Order: sequence, then C-alpha cells, then structure tokens
Amino acid sequence: MIIKIDNVYKSYNKNLVIKGISIDIEKGERIVILGPSGCGKTTLLRMIAGFIHPDKGKLIIDGRIVADNGKCIIEPENRHVGMVFQDLALWPHMSSYKNLEFGLKAKNIPKMERRKRIDEIFEKVQMDRFKNVHPGELSGGQQQRIALARALVMRPTILLMDEPLSSLDTDLSLILRKEILKLQEEFAITLIYVTHDREEAFSLATRIVVMDSGMIQKTGTVKEISEYIYNASHK
Amino acid sequence: MAKRLTLYITIFLLIGIGLAPVISIFIKSLFVDGEFSLQNYGTLFQSDREWRLLFNSLTLAGATTLITLLLGVPLGMLFTKTDLPLKRLFAILFVIPLIIPSYILAIAWFYCLGRSGIVAIIFNVDFGIITSNLLFGFAGTLFVMVSALLPIVIILTMTYLRMVNPNLEEAARLHCSWTMVLRKITIPLIYPGIALAALIVFILTLGEFGVPSSLRFDVYSVESFTRFSAFYDFNTATTAAMPLGIITFIVLIVERLFLRKKTFIFRAAGSEKTMVMAPLGRTKPFFMAAVSILVFILVIVPLGVLLYKSVSFSAYAEAFIRSIGSIMRSLVYASVGATCLVVFGFFLGYLLERRALKFSFAADSIAIFLFALPGTVIGIGLISLWNTPGTNFIYASMGIIIFGYIAQYTALGERVLAATFSHLPHSMEEAGQIAGADWFRRLFKILIPLAKRGMAAAWLICFIFCLRDIGITMMVYPPAHDTLPVRIFTLMANSPDDLISALCVIMIIITLLPLFGLWLANKCAKKASTLG
Repeated sequence: MIIKIDNVYKSYNKNLVIKGISIDIEKGERIVILGPSGCGKTTLLRMIAGFIHPDKGKLIIDGRIVADNGKCIIEPENRHVGMVFQDLALWPHMSSYKNLEFGLKAKNIPKMERRKRIDEIFEKVQMDRFKNVHPGELSGGQQQRIALARALVMRPTILLMDEPLSSLDTDLSLILRKEILKLQEEFAITLIYVTHDREEAFSLATRIVVMDSGMIQKTGTVKEISEYIYNASHK
Repeated sequence: MAKRLTLYITIFLLIGIGLAPVISIFIKSLFVDGEFSLQNYGTLFQSDREWRLLFNSLTLAGATTLITLLLGVPLGMLFTKTDLPLKRLFAILFVIPLIIPSYILAIAWFYCLGRSGIVAIIFNVDFGIITSNLLFGFAGTLFVMVSALLPIVIILTMTYLRMVNPNLEEAARLHCSWTMVLRKITIPLIYPGIALAALIVFILTLGEFGVPSSLRFDVYSVESFTRFSAFYDFNTATTAAMPLGIITFIVLIVERLFLRKKTFIFRAAGSEKTMVMAPLGRTKPFFMAAVSILVFILVIVPLGVLLYKSVSFSAYAEAFIRSIGSIMRSLVYASVGATCLVVFGFFLGYLLERRALKFSFAADSIAIFLFALPGTVIGIGLISLWNTPGTNFIYASMGIIIFGYIAQYTALGERVLAATFSHLPHSMEEAGQIAGADWFRRLFKILIPLAKRGMAAAWLICFIFCLRDIGITMMVYPPAHDTLPVRIFTLMANSPDDLISALCVIMIIITLLPLFGLWLANKCAKKASTLG
C-alpha cells in the first residue's frame, strides 16, 4: 500500500469539509476522485500534497506517517509527490526549461543529470521545440504538457492531478487523457486524479472514489461505479 | 456623441488646468527680456551650487528609495506571508506616517532630537548638539523621508503578494523549503510591484519640499521655492524647476517602456483561496522584536512626542483661536478638491479602462506625469499662467488652490476609478444601451450607482492628499487663504513648541477623521447586512 488515509477530518471556519474519510491506495493504481464542486475532493488532494493538514486522523505515504491529528510531520517537499494544478501554475517568469529545472536544482541534482532528465521528458511530452519558450507564449495544450513534464521530471512515486483538463476543449482533452495514461504506465506512478467529469473518470481510472458533502459515497471499479450511478439516477 | 464630448471636455480641462502651466513655465524659461535665449539654463548649469543641489536631490531620492525597499519589502512579506503575531495591527501602525503630512514628522523629530529637545533634556546639552547636527542635514532628512514613505513600499508589496496565485508557490513548495520559494518564486513574481514602489518613492522624494526645508537640507524643490518666494526671482525659479521636471519625465518614460508590460496579474484581488503562509517557527520572537522596535522608532516616538509636547489645554485653546480659520479652510478646500478630483477621476478612469478614445493612453500619461511632478514646479506654473489682470478672479481666490489639487492629484482618482471600472462588466452598460438609454441616463442610472464604492474610496484618498498638501498650496495660496499645513509651516519659526505640537495633533486628527467615519460606516453596513 502506498497511501493510507485513515479517518481524516478537516474544517474551515467551523464548516466541516472532510468528514472521516478513509482510503487505502495500492502502488501503480489510478484512482479518480469524482464528485461535484465543493464536495471536498480538492481539499483531500491538497492534504496528500501537504499544503493543508487534517484536523483529525492520520495520513501515511509510502510507510511514513506524514500528518497526524493536525500535525504536519513531513513537509510537502519531502513527500516525493508530484502535482499538476487545475490552473497548471506554471511560473510565468521562467522558461519551460527553467520550470522543469527548478525542482531538480532544489534537490541538488548535478547539472548533467538535470539536463539529461529534462531532455528526456521534453521528448516524451513532444515539447522539445519549446524549451526556451515562456508559458505565456504557449497554447493551452502545450502548457498542459509542460505542467505534466514538470511533475514527472522529479520522478515522483505519486502524481496528483487536480482537474487539469477542465479548461481544454473536448478533442484536446481526449488526446491528453491518452497521453496521461501512457506516461503513467511508462513511469509506473500511482495516479490520483480529481474531476467532476464522469467520462473523464471512466476513461482514466482503475478505481473510482465517489465523494459528496465531504464523505465517500462509494468506491469501486469503473464498472461498479457506472452501475452505481446508473441505478442512482433511475431510482 | 454625448459620451465623447464629456470625455473630450475632461481631457481639455486637465490639459488647461494641469499641463498648460507646466508648458507655460518651460516656454517662459526660454525667454530673457522678451527674446529667445538659453541664458537662464547657461547660468543654471555654470553654477556649482546648482550642480550640488542636483546631486543632493538625487542622492536623497536614491538613498530613500534603497532604504525603504530594504525595509519595506521584508515587512510587507512578514505582514502578508507569515504567521507573525499582531501583523494587522503592525501594518496599520506602519501606514499612519503616510496619512499625516511628512513635515509633521520632521517637527516631531526636531522636538525629540533638537538642541533643546527631549533627548537633550534627558541626557545633556552636548548630546543634544550631536543629535541636532545629525537631524539637520542629509542623515535626518533621509531618516524622516524613509519613515514617511516606507508605507508605500509596504502597501505595494502586500498588494502584489496578495495577487500572486498561491498555486504558483505551492507548485514550488513540492520541491523546496519556504525560504527558497520566497526567494525564487514569490519575490521574482512581485518584481513589477517592487519596481513601481521604488519609482513612486524616488519621485516623491525628489519633489518633497516640506521635510528638506524643515531640516535645512538644500535640494532642488526647496531652491525653486526659495528663489520664488524669498527673492521673487521668477526666471531662476522656473529654470531651477526644469531639471526636476526633466528627471521626472525620464523616470516615467522608463516606467512606461519597461514596467508597464511586465505587470503580471495572477488572480483577481479578493480571490477566495487562502494565501499560503510561511511559518516563522523558532524565529518568531526575533521578528516580533525587530518589527516592534521599528514601529516604536518610526511611528510611536514621533506621535508620542507631539502628544507629550502638546499636553496642555491652553495650547489647544490657543491653537484653535489662532488657526480656526485655517482648519475650516483646509476642510473646505480638501472637500471641494476631492469632489473635483473624483469627477475628473471618474471620466479619466472610464477613458483609461474602457479605451473609450484613441488617446486614452496619452491622457493617462499626462495625469501620471503631473502627479510625479514636484508640487513647487506646478505651483510656479500656475502662478505664471493665472497671475494676469484678466484671470485675477481665479488667482486671488481658492480657485487657484483647487486648480493645483486637480493638476497634481488627478492620477489618484483616475487610477482608483479605473480599477473600479475594471471590475464592472462592459455588458452592464451595453445592456442599458440596447434598452435605449442615452449616455447621461447610463451614466447616472448604471455607471455611477455601480461605481459608488470606488468613488467613495477615491474621494477619501484624494481628500487626504489635498488636506496634507503643502508643496502647491504654499506656492499659490492667496492672502487670507492659508490652509492648516501652511499655517503650521509659517508659525513654526517663531511660535512656542506646545502650540505647534497642538496644531500638528489637530492636523493628524482631522486627517484621520474621515477614515474613522469610513470604518464606522463599514461596521454599520456589516451589522445591517448581518441583521438583514
């Protein structure tokens, strides 16, 4: 098991947004957290990343307790987690190359090794020509690829994705979904993907977690969840 | 058509009231005895004294800018990005010196560090002489200017930090510690804000008249004033005003070329997502102590000295008797000025934000140029243009002071209202247009009601700036039209300390009064909405 979320609670201004959630995630799984806006799915993702800490409950990543009853035990930079944000969060003052190099530099990876890793990942996401281009000069799809490359270049054990395709058109979204699947398999990463789009969830997941009002409604395979949703809508 | 006409009239008035006086003095400086000549400039640049003044002005502006940045950026970051205790209170305290006229700070420090000041009384006269020598001159002027303008850097740093998308920092936080995130991501992202703060501090210091003249440090803006008021040497005064005008112009061109395009707006202000906080951890007591010491020196000491010096009923009674007229005039002129500035700001802000005419950019440049120009320069220009028998009804009335306010401070109202309009969707006005409403109906029924909060904020800011103005008012005020800042300035030389201190405290109170009113109104509005 790579992630264990054990009965976690989180509230903002007395408003309980996560209500006793527990999930076990195996290595290499593609978990999609599906739910409407405001159901707490992004909060859960940000807890795994380490940006917020559960008020109650325990979070274990790769056998290490990272957060326990309101205490942050391991900081985000030491959790070996990659993340693609909803708005991509590409640093506008850095070129694509520098965006990828930033994390590697922070981890003191030698220059030659940095260059090798960056070149490799640029090739994989087919963005070799855009190394020296700043994010503002790239199209939506290209920015998406750079954001994915920036997360993958760190070789994380877990990749978190927070509705990264929500701002793209359907055709481009379909292409990128296939690329995400390909890269996830190639890098053998555990993927946790947050979305409110069922079709996206069904096309990406090996397991889906349906959330509503800060609680897990149902967990299951794509088949199980599609049956659950069908039954729920035909009651 | 009516809309275009309204906007054209506003631009025409801005040019007539603000730009024409500056052009007028420039042209006049090129003529000697009615003939074209560069003799004024020749004389100016041959004089060692003029070069020394220019050097002093630039050194003071440069040093003030550097020190305010070194202090203000870290303070802004502490108040916005960290878990420093009492940070809101600290932020409010640091902003107070911006609201009160800067020369009042100079007076307070004079009472503290002067030859017979509080320090000399506590220690001894010799020590008072040392502190007095330090105060009167470059070091003292620099210190007071830093404390007066530090809030600008703090406010702009805080504003730009609040605009940074937290995701950009969180994306970096996955790889490195907070200190590195601040150094490599956050600070580079707010470079435009820091540069803008540097530019404003530099320009305001360059044009500052009150502090250097109170602390007897020779700079260009004081020279223009002295040449004009003491010797009535119009030619030298106008020529001496030109280098400041030219430097201001160059600095603004640099801003237009390099800064304007680099402004990153990362998210709308007031976005719901909470800001990422950098915990101070074990360093918290150190930062707490450092900030407390700074706030004590820069804010509490000068305000405390004024209160201590004025603590007698008779001082306040005399202050009111001798200056009630000036107090009332200050309030009336600042109110009229702020109202005019909101009207100008409304149309120019609309013009700038909606790009309603081809040359909206040029109108904005004129407003910004006039704001950056030293008040003494604008003052000389206004006298040069309006001191004629035919225009005496303006020159000899409060009109000339209001013209001065419009010339100098239009940019304030314009920028606040442009920001307000940027939050109003174009469709609001377009829907009115489709419904058949003409420009004035749209103006009074849609635009003004929607922009009323921004207009109130603009009025308040303009009111404070008009109230504390001394550069222009000192130059242009007609007999029996002096305002409170001018009154304090003229009484300073030969009046008792307690009277001057009492007047300074009154000045601070009437400046803070509308802010208190706003706070009260906001509180009532919140209460009403909660009950509703």
